[in-house]
Amino acid sequence: MLEVKDLHSYYGQAHVLQGASLTVGASEVVALLGRNGMGKTSLIRSVMGLSSPQVRGGAVTWKERSLLAMKPHQIARARIGYVPQGRRLFPSLTVTEHLTVLKSPDVTHGWTVERAFELFPRLAERRQHRGSQLSGGERQMLAVARALMIDPELILMDEPSEGLAPVMVQHLESIIAELKAQGLAILLVEQNLYSALAVADRVVVLESGKTVFEAKAGSFAPDTLTHYLGVH
Amino acid sequence: MSLFSLLNGLTFAALLFIVASGFTLIFGLLRIVNLAHGALYLFGGLVGYSAAAATGSFLAGIAAGMGAAALLGVALDRGLLRFVRGFELRQVLLTLGVAFVLNDLALVIWGGDTLTVPMPEALQGAMEIGPVFYPKYRLFVLGLGIFVFAGLWFLLHRTRLGALIRAGVDDPETIEAMGVDIRRVFLGTFMLGAALAGLGGVIGGAFLTLYPSADSEILVFSLAVVIIGGRGSLVGAGVGALLVGLLNSFGQVLFPELAYFAIFGPMALLLAFRPLGLFGKAA
Repeated sequence: MLEVKDLHSYYGQAHVLQGASLTVGASEVVALLGRNGMGKTSLIRSVMGLSSPQVRGGAVTWKERSLLAMKPHQIARARIGYVPQGRRLFPSLTVTEHLTVLKSPDVTHGWTVERAFELFPRLAERRQHRGSQLSGGERQMLAVARALMIDPELILMDEPSEGLAPVMVQHLESIIAELKAQGLAILLVEQNLYSALAVADRVVVLESGKTVFEAKAGSFAPDTLTHYLGVH
Repeated sequence: MSLFSLLNGLTFAALLFIVASGFTLIFGLLRIVNLAHGALYLFGGLVGYSAAAATGSFLAGIAAGMGAAALLGVALDRGLLRFVRGFELRQVLLTLGVAFVLNDLALVIWGGDTLTVPMPEALQGAMEIGPVFYPKYRLFVLGLGIFVFAGLWFLLHRTRLGALIRAGVDDPETIEAMGVDIRRVFLGTFMLGAALAGLGGVIGGAFLTLYPSADSEILVFSLAVVIIGGRGSLVGAGVGALLVGLLNSFGQVLFPELAYFAIFGPMALLLAFRPLGLFGKAA
């Protein structure tokens, strides 16, 4: 469904993606791994069409359509959901408003506000709270719930486990498994190899903005990646 | 005497709020310090004057003034500001240039005379409030200011569009990545902010009159309101307008030579301790 081919992106003069490639199939969970600064977030932002980094070469296609000339809101409406790094919730909005701002509460098909609350009962208890009043785990749940409001077929998740307690990381893994079971594809940026292997069908490793390793989860010994990822 | 000053302060505050709320909407959401806001006030007021004089209807004047200001806002945003997006200094200089152009244009079209928007008969005359007789029209302005505050508060906090605007103020990039064409929301907000300047022009033109330097005077007051209240904050604009209105009114009575200092002295002091204003949030 999603194909990133030989992508080159720049922050000003800095050449951050130097030929990154990956694919995500329908209902597939792909983990994007790599150390800090290797281009994982740059790749996600390039796919999402955000104004930096600037894409200057390569191709991003989604269901045979190029995403490169499209604006972020058009890419989102093509049913690509986005969970940004650091959550990026809206401090002025309540939990409920984070969802209703993207989808009228009257809508009854697809991901409704109520269905999101069923998936995340903790959020339902905090409907009127503001994003800033939530715990780290609840914030991440809200960021995922918000991404569901556009009825995505693919969700780009940028380090959702960052800063979460181990028990919350496990909860997140179960949510990812649940979403996959419902037919969603997920491109998951991770720093932790073992957390990624717990949920991913396939693993892609970036180093210095290039794809240097790609394999099905379980088809390789995790130790072979130590070279790319450092010690875990 | 002091009740009279208090009412004067409150009614001037109501007008300031109407103008400054539009300024703070544009400032908060689009990060644009629109120095043409005063010119939109003057231009809207003058168009409203002509429409009211031609039709004999005050309401037609308000509609024309708001419409003209909103259209000018669209032209400013789509025609000029789009070329300097993201460059704050260029935006400020551009809107300042537009302010000069609009001011000169107003001089060409309406001349340099002082004009007064004709007020409806029902609002002429005075009514008794305790020991003083107070102009009905100014009480109407006070009521309108409260109405605009309530309307904007409802829009921002009780509607989906308002939630979109608040999300856009918080983080425009993220709301766009969630499938919202935030540019359209921005344009609508710019139009609304400009229309509020036009509304202020027509309303103010009926009791403060319209003259060639009215634009820069109201702009300076609006800046003070928004700086005191905090960028993008509706409640801040309300509190700031009250402070500036009352300080101005009592300052004029108590120490007329220092009336401006009575506003900008406390403002400078406030900024020393709260650089973002009373209700401002860091970007």
